[in-house]
Amino acid sequence: MNELQVLILGLLLGGVYALMASGLTLLFGVMRVVNLAHAAFIVVGAYGAYFAFELLGLDPFVALGLIMPAFFLLGMGLYRLLFPRIEGSPRFGEMTVLMTFGLALIIEGLLAFYFTGIFRSVDPPYATQAFILGPVFVPRAQLYASLTSVVLLMGLWAFLRMTRTGYAIRATMQNRVAAQVVGVNVRRISTVSFGIGMALAGAAGTLVSFIFTFFPARHWQWIAILLALIVLGGMGSLKGAVVGAVVLAVASSFVSDRIGPTWAPMTFFAALFVTLMVRPRGLFGKEIDR
Amino acid sequence: MLLDIQNVEAGYGSAPPVLRGLSLQVEDNRSYCVIGPNGAGKSTLLKTIVGILRPRRGTIRFQGESIEGLRPDEILQKGICFVPQDRSLFPEMTVQENLRMGGFLIRDRRLLRERLDRVYELFPILRDRTNQVAGTLSGGQQQMLALARTLMIEPKLLCVDEPSLGLAPGIVDQVFETLTEFRKQGMTVLLVEQNAVRGLSWADWGFVLDLGALRFEGPADGILENPQIRELYLGRLAARGEE
Ligand SMILES: Nc1ncnc2c1ncn2[C@@H]1O[C@H](COP(=O)(O)OP(=O)(O)O)[C@@H](O)[C@H]1O
Ligand SMILES: [Mg+2]
Repeated sequence: MNELQVLILGLLLGGVYALMASGLTLLFGVMRVVNLAHAAFIVVGAYGAYFAFELLGLDPFVALGLIMPAFFLLGMGLYRLLFPRIEGSPRFGEMTVLMTFGLALIIEGLLAFYFTGIFRSVDPPYATQAFILGPVFVPRAQLYASLTSVVLLMGLWAFLRMTRTGYAIRATMQNRVAAQVVGVNVRRISTVSFGIGMALAGAAGTLVSFIFTFFPARHWQWIAILLALIVLGGMGSLKGAVVGAVVLAVASSFVSDRIGPTWAPMTFFAALFVTLMVRPRGLFGKEIDR
Repeated sequence: MLLDIQNVEAGYGSAPPVLRGLSLQVEDNRSYCVIGPNGAGKSTLLKTIVGILRPRRGTIRFQGESIEGLRPDEILQKGICFVPQDRSLFPEMTVQENLRMGGFLIRDRRLLRERLDRVYELFPILRDRTNQVAGTLSGGQQQMLALARTLMIEPKLLCVDEPSLGLAPGIVDQVFETLTEFRKQGMTVLLVEQNAVRGLSWADWGFVLDLGALRFEGPADGILENPQIRELYLGRLAARGEE
Protein backbone atom coordinates (compact mmCIF):
# COMPACT_ATOMS: atom_id res chain seq x y z
CA MET A 1 0.00 0.00 0.00
CA ASN A 2 1.19 3.55 -0.50
CA GLU A 3 2.22 5.67 2.50
CA LEU A 4 -0.80 7.94 2.35
CA GLN A 5 -3.14 4.96 2.45
CA VAL A 6 -1.39 3.46 5.47
CA LEU A 7 -1.40 6.82 7.21
CA ILE A 8 -5.13 7.32 6.65
CA LEU A 9 -6.00 3.88 7.97
CA GLY A 10 -3.74 4.48 10.97
CA LEU A 11 -5.36 7.84 11.75
CA LEU A 12 -8.86 6.39 11.52
CA LEU A 13 -7.87 3.60 13.88
CA GLY A 14 -6.24 6.14 16.22
CA GLY A 15 -9.47 8.08 16.55
CA VAL A 16 -11.27 4.98 17.80
CA TYR A 17 -8.43 3.94 20.13
CA ALA A 18 -8.50 7.46 21.59
CA LEU A 19 -12.15 7.05 22.52
CA MET A 20 -11.51 3.55 23.89
CA ALA A 21 -8.72 4.92 26.10
CA SER A 22 -10.41 8.14 27.22
CA GLY A 23 -12.59 6.58 29.91
CA LEU A 24 -9.67 4.59 31.28
CA THR A 25 -7.41 7.61 31.63
CA LEU A 26 -10.19 9.84 33.00
CA LEU A 27 -10.88 7.36 35.77
CA PHE A 28 -7.21 7.05 36.60
CA GLY A 29 -6.92 10.83 36.71
CA VAL A 30 -9.85 11.32 39.05
CA MET A 31 -9.59 8.28 41.31
CA ARG A 32 -6.13 6.80 40.75
CA VAL A 33 -7.92 3.61 39.76
CA VAL A 34 -6.61 1.50 36.87
CA ASN A 35 -9.83 -0.08 35.69
CA LEU A 36 -8.69 -3.38 34.21
CA ALA A 37 -12.32 -4.14 33.36
CA HIS A 38 -12.55 -1.12 31.06
CA ALA A 39 -12.06 -3.13 27.86
CA ALA A 40 -14.44 -5.82 29.13
CA PHE A 41 -17.09 -3.11 29.33
CA ILE A 42 -16.20 -2.10 25.80
CA VAL A 43 -16.95 -5.70 24.78
CA VAL A 44 -20.27 -5.50 26.64
CA GLY A 45 -21.05 -2.33 24.67
CA ALA A 46 -20.25 -4.16 21.45
CA TYR A 47 -22.65 -6.96 22.39
CA GLY A 48 -25.25 -4.32 23.17
CA ALA A 49 -24.87 -2.87 19.69
CA TYR A 50 -24.92 -6.38 18.21
CA PHE A 51 -28.23 -7.31 19.80
CA ALA A 52 -29.73 -3.89 19.13
CA PHE A 53 -28.93 -4.52 15.45
CA GLU A 54 -29.89 -8.19 15.23
CA LEU A 55 -33.00 -8.18 17.39
CA LEU A 56 -34.32 -4.64 17.07
CA GLY A 57 -32.85 -3.68 13.71
CA LEU A 58 -31.24 -0.56 15.18
CA ASP A 59 -28.29 0.98 13.40
CA PRO A 60 -25.26 1.26 15.75
CA PHE A 61 -25.47 5.06 15.58
CA VAL A 62 -29.02 4.86 16.92
CA ALA A 63 -28.01 2.28 19.52
CA LEU A 64 -25.28 4.68 20.66
CA GLY A 65 -27.96 7.02 21.97
CA LEU A 66 -29.33 4.24 24.18
CA ILE A 67 -26.12 2.51 25.19
CA MET A 68 -24.33 5.64 26.45
CA PRO A 69 -26.97 6.68 29.01
CA ALA A 70 -27.50 3.05 30.06
CA PHE A 71 -23.77 2.65 30.67
CA PHE A 72 -23.62 5.97 32.51
CA LEU A 73 -26.23 4.75 34.99
CA LEU A 74 -24.65 1.31 35.20
CA GLY A 75 -21.28 2.93 35.98
CA MET A 76 -22.67 5.10 38.77
CA GLY A 77 -24.44 2.09 40.29
CA LEU A 78 -21.35 -0.06 40.06
CA TYR A 79 -19.26 2.62 41.72
CA ARG A 80 -21.70 2.91 44.60
CA LEU A 81 -21.80 -0.85 44.98
CA LEU A 82 -18.06 -1.55 44.87
CA PHE A 83 -16.01 1.43 45.98
CA PRO A 84 -17.30 3.08 49.16
CA ARG A 85 -16.23 0.17 51.33
CA ILE A 86 -12.59 0.28 50.20
CA GLU A 87 -12.20 4.06 50.00
CA GLY A 88 -9.74 5.41 52.51
CA SER A 89 -8.03 2.05 52.86
CA PRO A 90 -4.24 2.29 52.82
CA ARG A 91 -4.29 -0.57 50.27
CA PHE A 92 -6.80 1.19 48.00
CA GLY A 93 -4.57 0.98 44.90
CA GLU A 94 -3.85 -2.74 45.21
CA MET A 95 -7.46 -3.54 46.05
CA THR A 96 -8.83 -1.77 42.99
CA VAL A 97 -6.41 -3.63 40.70
CA LEU A 98 -7.58 -6.98 42.07
CA MET A 99 -11.21 -5.93 42.11
CA THR A 100 -11.30 -4.68 38.51
CA PHE A 101 -9.31 -7.71 37.36
CA GLY A 102 -11.92 -9.92 39.00
CA LEU A 103 -14.66 -7.87 37.44
CA ALA A 104 -13.13 -8.40 33.98
CA LEU A 105 -13.05 -12.18 34.55
CA ILE A 106 -16.66 -12.21 35.72
CA ILE A 107 -17.85 -10.21 32.71
CA GLU A 108 -15.92 -12.42 30.31
CA GLY A 109 -17.34 -15.54 31.97
CA LEU A 110 -20.91 -14.28 31.81
CA LEU A 111 -20.59 -13.23 28.16
CA ALA A 112 -19.11 -16.60 27.22
CA PHE A 113 -21.82 -18.44 29.14
CA TYR A 114 -24.74 -16.59 27.59
CA PHE A 115 -23.45 -15.68 24.13
CA THR A 116 -20.75 -18.35 23.53
CA GLY A 117 -17.29 -17.63 22.18
CA ILE A 118 -18.37 -17.15 18.57
CA PHE A 119 -16.67 -14.30 16.71
CA ARG A 120 -19.22 -11.61 15.99
CA SER A 121 -19.50 -8.26 14.33
CA VAL A 122 -22.29 -5.93 13.33
CA ASP A 123 -22.93 -5.60 9.61
CA PRO A 124 -24.68 -2.35 8.72
CA PRO A 125 -24.58 -1.64 4.94
CA TYR A 126 -21.66 0.79 5.24
CA ALA A 127 -19.48 -1.81 6.99
CA THR A 128 -18.15 -3.07 3.67
CA GLN A 129 -18.19 0.14 1.62
CA ALA A 130 -15.46 2.67 0.99
CA PHE A 131 -15.01 6.10 -0.56
CA ILE A 132 -12.43 6.13 -3.33
CA LEU A 133 -10.46 9.38 -3.46
CA GLY A 134 -7.92 9.17 -6.24
CA PRO A 135 -5.17 6.79 -5.14
CA VAL A 136 -6.63 6.03 -1.70
CA PHE A 137 -9.72 4.41 -0.32
CA VAL A 138 -11.42 5.42 2.92
CA PRO A 139 -13.54 2.70 4.51
CA ARG A 140 -16.87 4.24 5.44
CA ALA A 141 -17.27 2.32 8.71
CA GLN A 142 -13.84 3.42 9.97
CA LEU A 143 -14.47 6.98 8.87
CA TYR A 144 -17.82 7.22 10.64
CA ALA A 145 -16.47 5.56 13.79
CA SER A 146 -13.48 7.85 13.89
CA LEU A 147 -15.50 11.02 13.30
CA THR A 148 -17.95 10.01 16.02
CA SER A 149 -15.02 9.47 18.39
CA VAL A 150 -13.71 12.93 17.62
CA VAL A 151 -17.13 14.49 18.26
CA LEU A 152 -17.52 12.63 21.56
CA LEU A 153 -14.02 13.56 22.70
CA MET A 154 -14.63 17.21 21.84
CA GLY A 155 -17.86 17.03 23.81
CA LEU A 156 -15.96 15.59 26.77
CA TRP A 157 -13.33 18.31 26.48
CA ALA A 158 -15.96 21.05 26.39
CA PHE A 159 -17.77 19.49 29.34
CA LEU A 160 -14.58 19.42 31.41
CA ARG A 161 -13.68 23.01 30.47
CA MET A 162 -17.01 24.76 30.64
CA THR A 163 -19.32 23.24 33.20
CA ARG A 164 -19.30 23.43 36.96
CA THR A 165 -19.11 19.65 37.25
CA GLY A 166 -16.33 19.65 34.67
CA TYR A 167 -14.33 22.11 36.76
CA ALA A 168 -14.91 19.95 39.82
CA ILE A 169 -13.66 16.87 37.97
CA ARG A 170 -10.50 18.64 36.80
CA ALA A 171 -9.95 20.06 40.28
CA THR A 172 -10.20 16.57 41.77
CA MET A 173 -7.72 15.29 39.16
CA GLN A 174 -5.22 18.02 40.00
CA ASN A 175 -5.44 17.85 43.79
CA ARG A 176 -8.00 15.76 45.60
CA VAL A 177 -7.52 17.39 49.01
CA ALA A 178 -7.66 20.87 47.51
CA ALA A 179 -10.92 19.95 45.83
CA GLN A 180 -12.34 18.92 49.20
CA VAL A 181 -11.06 22.12 50.75
CA VAL A 182 -13.02 24.30 48.32
CA GLY A 183 -16.19 22.29 48.81
CA VAL A 184 -16.19 19.71 46.03
CA ASN A 185 -17.97 16.56 47.12
CA VAL A 186 -15.28 14.21 45.83
CA ARG A 187 -17.34 11.09 46.33
CA ARG A 188 -20.09 12.50 44.11
CA ILE A 189 -17.48 13.56 41.55
CA SER A 190 -15.92 10.08 41.60
CA THR A 191 -19.36 8.55 41.04
CA VAL A 192 -20.12 10.83 38.12
CA SER A 193 -16.66 10.25 36.65
CA PHE A 194 -17.14 6.49 36.86
CA GLY A 195 -20.43 6.95 35.03
CA ILE A 196 -18.79 9.06 32.34
CA GLY A 197 -15.94 6.55 31.99
CA MET A 198 -18.48 3.78 31.49
CA ALA A 199 -20.53 5.81 29.01
CA LEU A 200 -17.32 6.29 27.01
CA ALA A 201 -16.64 2.54 27.19
CA GLY A 202 -20.18 1.86 25.95
CA ALA A 203 -19.74 4.33 23.09
CA ALA A 204 -16.39 2.81 22.15
CA GLY A 205 -17.96 -0.67 22.23
CA THR A 206 -20.75 0.42 19.92
CA LEU A 207 -18.25 1.82 17.41
CA VAL A 208 -15.87 -1.14 17.46
CA SER A 209 -18.80 -3.52 16.99
CA PHE A 210 -18.81 -2.81 13.25
CA ILE A 211 -15.11 -2.24 12.61
CA PHE A 212 -13.64 -5.20 14.53
CA THR A 213 -14.77 -8.73 15.23
CA PHE A 214 -15.26 -9.42 18.90
CA PHE A 215 -15.79 -12.28 21.32
CA PRO A 216 -15.80 -12.46 25.14
CA ALA A 217 -12.03 -12.81 25.59
CA ARG A 218 -11.20 -10.04 23.12
CA HIS A 219 -10.88 -7.51 25.96
CA TRP A 220 -7.47 -8.84 27.10
CA GLN A 221 -5.87 -7.73 23.88
CA TRP A 222 -7.63 -4.38 23.99
CA ILE A 223 -6.82 -3.55 27.59
CA ALA A 224 -3.14 -4.32 26.90
CA ILE A 225 -3.15 -1.95 23.94
CA LEU A 226 -5.01 0.75 25.85
CA LEU A 227 -2.67 0.55 28.84
CA ALA A 228 0.33 0.86 26.52
CA LEU A 229 -1.01 3.96 24.86
CA ILE A 230 -2.09 5.74 28.03
CA VAL A 231 1.28 5.04 29.60
CA LEU A 232 2.88 6.61 26.53
CA GLY A 233 0.58 9.63 26.71
CA GLY A 234 0.81 9.93 30.50
CA MET A 235 -1.61 8.23 32.90
CA GLY A 236 -4.53 10.47 33.74
CA SER A 237 -4.01 12.88 30.86
CA LEU A 238 -6.77 13.03 28.24
CA LYS A 239 -4.56 14.89 25.81
CA GLY A 240 -1.97 12.15 26.36
CA ALA A 241 -4.50 9.41 25.62
CA VAL A 242 -5.43 11.04 22.31
CA VAL A 243 -1.82 11.65 21.25
CA GLY A 244 -0.73 8.18 22.41
CA ALA A 245 -3.62 6.57 20.54
CA VAL A 246 -2.96 8.36 17.27
CA VAL A 247 0.82 7.93 17.36
CA LEU A 248 0.67 4.22 18.17
CA ALA A 249 -2.20 3.46 15.79
CA VAL A 250 -0.29 5.06 12.92
CA ALA A 251 2.94 3.34 13.95
CA SER A 252 1.22 -0.04 14.21
CA SER A 253 -0.42 0.32 10.83
CA PHE A 254 2.97 0.99 9.26
CA VAL A 255 4.45 -2.00 11.07
CA SER A 256 1.53 -4.11 9.92
CA ASP A 257 1.98 -3.00 6.31
CA ARG A 258 5.76 -3.19 6.08
CA ILE A 259 6.63 -6.10 8.37
CA GLY A 260 3.40 -8.02 8.73
CA PRO A 261 0.08 -7.86 10.61
CA THR A 262 1.21 -10.31 13.28
CA TRP A 263 3.78 -7.74 14.41
CA ALA A 264 1.30 -4.86 14.79
CA PRO A 265 0.46 -5.53 18.46
CA MET A 266 4.18 -5.60 19.22
CA THR A 267 4.33 -1.90 18.38
CA PHE A 268 2.30 -1.14 21.49
CA PHE A 269 4.37 -3.24 23.84
CA ALA A 270 7.63 -1.95 22.41
CA ALA A 271 6.34 1.59 23.03
CA LEU A 272 5.34 0.58 26.57
CA PHE A 273 8.81 -0.69 27.39
CA VAL A 274 10.56 2.29 25.86
CA THR A 275 8.28 4.75 27.69
CA LEU A 276 8.85 3.05 31.04
CA MET A 277 12.60 3.08 30.53
CA VAL A 278 13.03 6.58 29.12
CA ARG A 279 10.21 8.66 30.56
CA PRO A 280 8.00 6.73 32.98
CA ARG A 281 5.48 9.52 33.40
CA GLY A 282 4.78 9.58 29.66
CA LEU A 283 4.40 12.52 27.31
CA PHE A 284 1.86 14.59 29.24
CA GLY A 285 1.77 12.83 32.61
CA LYS A 286 2.56 14.30 35.99
CA GLU A 287 4.83 12.79 38.59
CA ILE A 288 2.54 10.56 40.58
CA ASP A 289 2.55 11.38 44.26
CA ARG A 290 0.89 9.21 46.91
CA MET B 1 -18.72 29.98 71.71
CA LEU B 2 -17.77 29.45 68.09
CA LEU B 3 -16.12 26.03 68.16
CA ASP B 4 -16.33 23.45 70.90
CA ILE B 5 -14.26 20.27 70.63
CA GLN B 6 -14.82 17.61 73.27
CA ASN B 7 -12.79 14.44 73.81
CA VAL B 8 -12.01 13.96 70.15
CA GLU B 9 -10.15 10.88 69.04
CA ALA B 10 -8.95 10.78 65.43
CA GLY B 11 -6.28 9.14 63.30
CA TYR B 12 -5.38 7.52 60.02
CA GLY B 13 -6.62 4.16 58.71
CA SER B 14 -6.40 1.44 61.35
CA ALA B 15 -3.36 2.99 63.09
CA PRO B 16 -3.68 4.05 66.73
CA PRO B 17 -5.32 7.46 67.17
CA VAL B 18 -3.22 10.60 66.73
CA LEU B 19 -5.61 12.85 68.66
CA ARG B 20 -6.27 11.19 72.01
CA GLY B 21 -9.22 12.74 73.72
CA LEU B 22 -8.51 16.31 72.76
CA SER B 23 -10.77 19.12 73.97
CA LEU B 24 -10.55 22.82 73.19
CA GLN B 25 -12.79 25.85 72.73
CA VAL B 26 -12.62 28.77 70.35
CA GLU B 27 -14.47 32.05 70.91
CA ASP B 28 -15.73 34.50 68.33
CA ASN B 29 -13.47 37.27 67.04
CA ARG B 30 -10.21 36.26 68.57
CA SER B 31 -7.09 34.82 67.10
CA TYR B 32 -5.53 31.58 68.18
CA CYS B 33 -2.19 29.95 67.68
CA VAL B 34 -1.56 26.23 68.14
CA ILE B 35 2.02 25.24 68.87
CA GLY B 36 3.61 21.91 69.65
CA PRO B 37 6.45 19.64 68.56
CA ASN B 38 6.52 17.92 65.19
CA GLY B 39 4.07 15.04 65.07
CA ALA B 40 2.01 16.38 67.98
CA GLY B 41 -1.14 16.20 65.86
CA LYS B 42 -1.60 19.86 64.93
CA SER B 43 -2.34 19.20 61.27
CA THR B 44 -4.49 16.24 62.23
CA LEU B 45 -6.53 18.54 64.48
CA LEU B 46 -7.25 20.95 61.62
CA LYS B 47 -8.09 18.13 59.19
CA THR B 48 -10.51 16.72 61.74
CA ILE B 49 -12.23 20.08 62.30
CA VAL B 50 -12.85 20.57 58.56
CA GLY B 51 -14.02 17.01 57.98
CA ILE B 52 -11.17 15.65 55.85
CA LEU B 53 -10.70 13.18 58.72
CA ARG B 54 -13.64 11.74 60.62
CA PRO B 55 -13.27 11.68 64.39
CA ARG B 56 -13.57 8.19 65.81
CA ARG B 57 -14.99 9.52 69.04
CA GLY B 58 -15.98 12.79 70.66
CA THR B 59 -18.00 15.78 69.51
CA ILE B 60 -17.28 18.92 67.53
CA ARG B 61 -19.81 21.74 67.72
CA PHE B 62 -19.72 24.83 65.57
CA GLN B 63 -22.05 27.63 66.68
CA GLY B 64 -23.85 25.09 68.80
CA GLU B 65 -24.42 22.69 65.93
CA SER B 66 -22.84 19.28 65.86
CA ILE B 67 -20.57 18.96 62.79
CA GLU B 68 -18.53 15.81 63.40
CA GLY B 69 -19.21 13.30 60.64
CA LEU B 70 -20.28 15.93 58.11
CA ARG B 71 -18.54 16.02 54.73
CA PRO B 72 -15.89 18.72 54.10
CA ASP B 73 -18.19 20.58 51.70
CA GLU B 74 -20.98 20.63 54.29
CA ILE B 75 -18.62 21.97 56.96
CA LEU B 76 -17.31 24.62 54.55
CA GLN B 77 -20.90 25.65 53.87
CA LYS B 78 -21.32 26.27 57.58
CA GLY B 79 -18.39 28.70 57.51
CA ILE B 80 -15.16 26.88 58.35
CA CYS B 81 -12.38 27.28 55.79
CA PHE B 82 -9.04 25.51 55.68
CA VAL B 83 -5.65 26.32 54.18
CA PRO B 84 -3.56 23.13 54.35
CA GLN B 85 0.17 22.98 54.96
CA ASP B 86 0.95 22.34 51.27
CA ARG B 87 -1.36 25.27 50.21
CA SER B 88 -3.43 22.87 48.07
CA LEU B 89 -3.85 24.94 44.95
CA PHE B 90 -4.87 23.61 41.54
CA PRO B 91 -1.47 23.76 39.85
CA GLU B 92 -2.72 23.63 36.25
CA MET B 93 -5.44 26.24 36.70
CA THR B 94 -4.87 29.98 36.46
CA VAL B 95 -4.97 32.34 39.43
CA GLN B 96 -8.47 33.41 38.44
CA GLU B 97 -9.68 29.82 38.05
CA ASN B 98 -8.25 28.97 41.47
CA LEU B 99 -10.13 31.88 43.00
CA ARG B 100 -13.33 30.87 41.23
CA MET B 101 -12.86 27.33 42.54
CA GLY B 102 -12.57 28.92 45.99
CA GLY B 103 -16.13 30.10 45.43
CA PHE B 104 -17.25 26.70 44.15
CA LEU B 105 -20.14 26.64 46.61
CA ILE B 106 -21.48 30.00 45.41
CA ARG B 107 -23.99 29.47 42.63
CA ASP B 108 -24.95 33.13 42.22
CA ARG B 109 -22.74 34.46 39.41
CA ARG B 110 -23.10 38.09 40.44
CA LEU B 111 -22.02 37.37 43.97
CA LEU B 112 -19.08 35.36 42.66
CA ARG B 113 -18.01 38.31 40.50
CA GLU B 114 -18.31 40.74 43.44
CA ARG B 115 -16.23 38.53 45.70
CA LEU B 116 -13.61 38.12 42.99
CA ASP B 117 -13.35 41.90 42.55
CA ARG B 118 -12.98 42.35 46.28
CA VAL B 119 -10.20 39.75 46.46
CA TYR B 120 -8.37 41.52 43.65
CA GLU B 121 -8.76 44.82 45.52
CA LEU B 122 -7.13 43.35 48.62
CA PHE B 123 -4.50 41.44 46.63
CA PRO B 124 -3.37 43.56 43.68
CA ILE B 125 -0.48 41.17 43.04
CA LEU B 126 -3.02 38.50 42.17
CA ARG B 127 -4.87 40.80 39.79
CA ASP B 128 -1.60 41.33 37.92
CA ARG B 129 -1.23 37.57 37.56
CA THR B 130 -4.81 36.65 36.96
CA ASN B 131 -4.06 34.50 33.91
CA GLN B 132 -0.89 32.91 35.22
CA VAL B 133 -1.00 29.19 35.97
CA ALA B 134 -0.81 28.64 39.75
CA GLY B 135 1.91 26.01 39.53
CA THR B 136 4.32 28.62 38.18
CA LEU B 137 3.85 31.14 41.04
CA SER B 138 6.56 31.60 43.68
CA GLY B 139 6.07 30.05 47.11
CA GLY B 140 5.00 33.37 48.63
CA GLN B 141 2.54 34.09 45.83
CA GLN B 142 1.07 30.61 46.18
CA GLN B 143 0.52 31.16 49.91
CA MET B 144 -1.13 34.52 49.19
CA LEU B 145 -3.38 32.86 46.61
CA ALA B 146 -4.29 30.09 49.06
CA LEU B 147 -5.20 32.68 51.70
CA ALA B 148 -7.02 34.92 49.22
CA ARG B 149 -9.02 31.95 47.96
CA THR B 150 -10.65 31.53 51.37
CA LEU B 151 -12.05 35.07 51.11
CA MET B 152 -14.33 33.90 48.30
CA ILE B 153 -16.36 32.11 50.97
CA GLU B 154 -16.00 34.73 53.74
CA PRO B 155 -15.72 32.07 56.44
CA LYS B 156 -16.41 32.70 60.11
CA LEU B 157 -13.53 30.48 61.15
CA LEU B 158 -10.31 30.15 59.18
CA CYS B 159 -7.93 27.28 59.95
CA VAL B 160 -4.43 27.87 58.58
CA ASP B 161 -1.69 25.25 58.75
CA GLU B 162 1.87 26.62 58.91
CA PRO B 163 1.52 29.40 56.37
CA SER B 164 5.09 30.61 56.86
CA LEU B 165 6.65 27.24 56.04
CA GLY B 166 9.49 27.63 53.57
CA LEU B 167 8.98 31.34 52.97
CA ALA B 168 11.56 34.14 53.14
CA PRO B 169 11.25 36.43 56.22
CA GLY B 170 9.91 39.36 54.21
CA ILE B 171 7.15 37.20 52.76
CA VAL B 172 6.34 35.81 56.20
CA ASP B 173 5.65 39.41 57.31
CA GLN B 174 3.19 39.75 54.43
CA VAL B 175 1.46 36.52 55.43
CA PHE B 176 0.97 37.76 58.99
CA GLU B 177 -0.23 41.16 57.77
CA THR B 178 -2.79 39.33 55.65
CA LEU B 179 -3.95 37.30 58.65
CA THR B 180 -4.29 40.53 60.64
CA GLU B 181 -6.39 41.98 57.83
CA PHE B 182 -8.62 38.88 57.91
CA ARG B 183 -9.10 39.42 61.64
CA LYS B 184 -10.22 42.99 61.01
CA GLN B 185 -12.78 41.65 58.56
CA GLY B 186 -14.32 39.73 61.45
CA MET B 187 -12.83 36.31 60.86
CA THR B 188 -11.71 34.12 63.71
CA VAL B 189 -8.35 32.63 62.85
CA LEU B 190 -7.02 29.33 64.20
CA LEU B 191 -3.37 29.26 63.20
CA VAL B 192 -0.95 26.36 63.47
CA GLU B 193 2.61 27.61 63.51
CA GLN B 194 6.04 25.99 63.89
CA ASN B 195 7.56 29.42 64.40
CA ALA B 196 6.14 29.61 67.93
CA VAL B 197 7.47 33.04 68.85
CA ARG B 198 6.14 34.58 65.69
CA GLY B 199 2.77 32.86 65.93
CA LEU B 200 2.24 33.57 69.62
CA SER B 201 3.20 37.23 69.34
CA TRP B 202 0.58 37.57 66.62
CA ALA B 203 -2.26 35.69 68.36
CA ASP B 204 -4.42 36.53 71.40
CA TRP B 205 -4.57 33.03 72.77
CA GLY B 206 -2.27 30.04 72.57
CA PHE B 207 -2.78 26.29 72.67
CA VAL B 208 0.08 23.91 73.38
CA LEU B 209 -0.46 20.49 71.85
CA ASP B 210 1.61 17.42 72.54
CA LEU B 211 1.03 13.71 71.95
CA GLY B 212 -2.44 14.37 70.61
CA ALA B 213 -3.83 16.25 73.59
CA LEU B 214 -4.00 19.81 74.87
CA ARG B 215 -1.21 20.35 77.43
CA PHE B 216 -1.70 24.02 78.16
CA GLU B 217 -3.64 27.06 77.06
CA GLY B 218 -3.64 30.71 77.96
CA PRO B 219 -3.08 34.26 76.76
CA ALA B 220 -0.45 34.11 74.04
CA ASP B 221 2.02 36.54 75.64
CA GLY B 222 1.74 34.60 78.91
CA ILE B 223 2.83 31.42 77.17
CA LEU B 224 5.88 33.12 75.79
CA GLU B 225 6.85 34.19 79.31
CA ASN B 226 5.84 31.06 81.22
CA PRO B 227 9.17 29.47 82.23
CA GLN B 228 7.74 25.97 82.54
CA ILE B 229 6.23 25.99 79.05
CA ARG B 230 9.35 27.57 77.67
CA GLU B 231 11.42 24.76 79.07
CA LEU B 232 9.07 21.94 78.10
CA TYR B 233 7.81 22.96 74.69
CA LEU B 234 9.16 26.29 73.61
CA GLY B 235 12.87 25.70 74.09
CA ARG B 236 13.42 23.94 70.81
CA LEU B 237 10.62 25.72 69.02
CA ALA B 238 11.65 29.19 70.15
CA ALA B 239 15.21 28.47 69.19
CA ARG B 240 14.02 27.47 65.72
CA GLY B 241 11.77 30.48 65.46
CA GLU B 242 14.49 32.92 66.36
CA GLU B 243 17.00 31.48 63.92
N1 LIG C 1 -1.70 10.89 56.06
C1 LIG C 1 -1.24 10.26 57.15
N2 LIG C 1 -1.29 8.92 57.22
C2 LIG C 1 -0.84 8.27 58.32
N3 LIG C 1 -0.28 8.89 59.39
C3 LIG C 1 -0.19 10.22 59.37
C4 LIG C 1 -0.66 10.99 58.24
N4 LIG C 1 -0.45 12.30 58.50
C5 LIG C 1 0.12 12.35 59.72
N5 LIG C 1 0.27 11.11 60.24
C6 LIG C 1 0.85 10.80 61.56
O1 LIG C 1 0.12 11.48 62.53
C7 LIG C 1 0.96 12.02 63.53
C8 LIG C 1 0.67 13.50 63.71
O2 LIG C 1 0.91 14.18 62.48
P1 LIG C 1 0.53 15.68 62.25
O3 LIG C 1 -0.86 15.90 62.69
O4 LIG C 1 0.84 15.97 60.83
O5 LIG C 1 1.54 16.42 63.22
P2 LIG C 1 1.98 17.94 63.26
O6 LIG C 1 1.19 18.69 62.25
O7 LIG C 1 1.72 18.37 64.66
O8 LIG C 1 3.45 17.95 62.96
C9 LIG C 1 2.39 11.74 63.09
O9 LIG C 1 2.88 10.67 63.86
C10 LIG C 1 2.26 11.32 61.66
O10 LIG C 1 3.19 10.32 61.34
MG1 LIG D 1 1.72 19.68 60.50
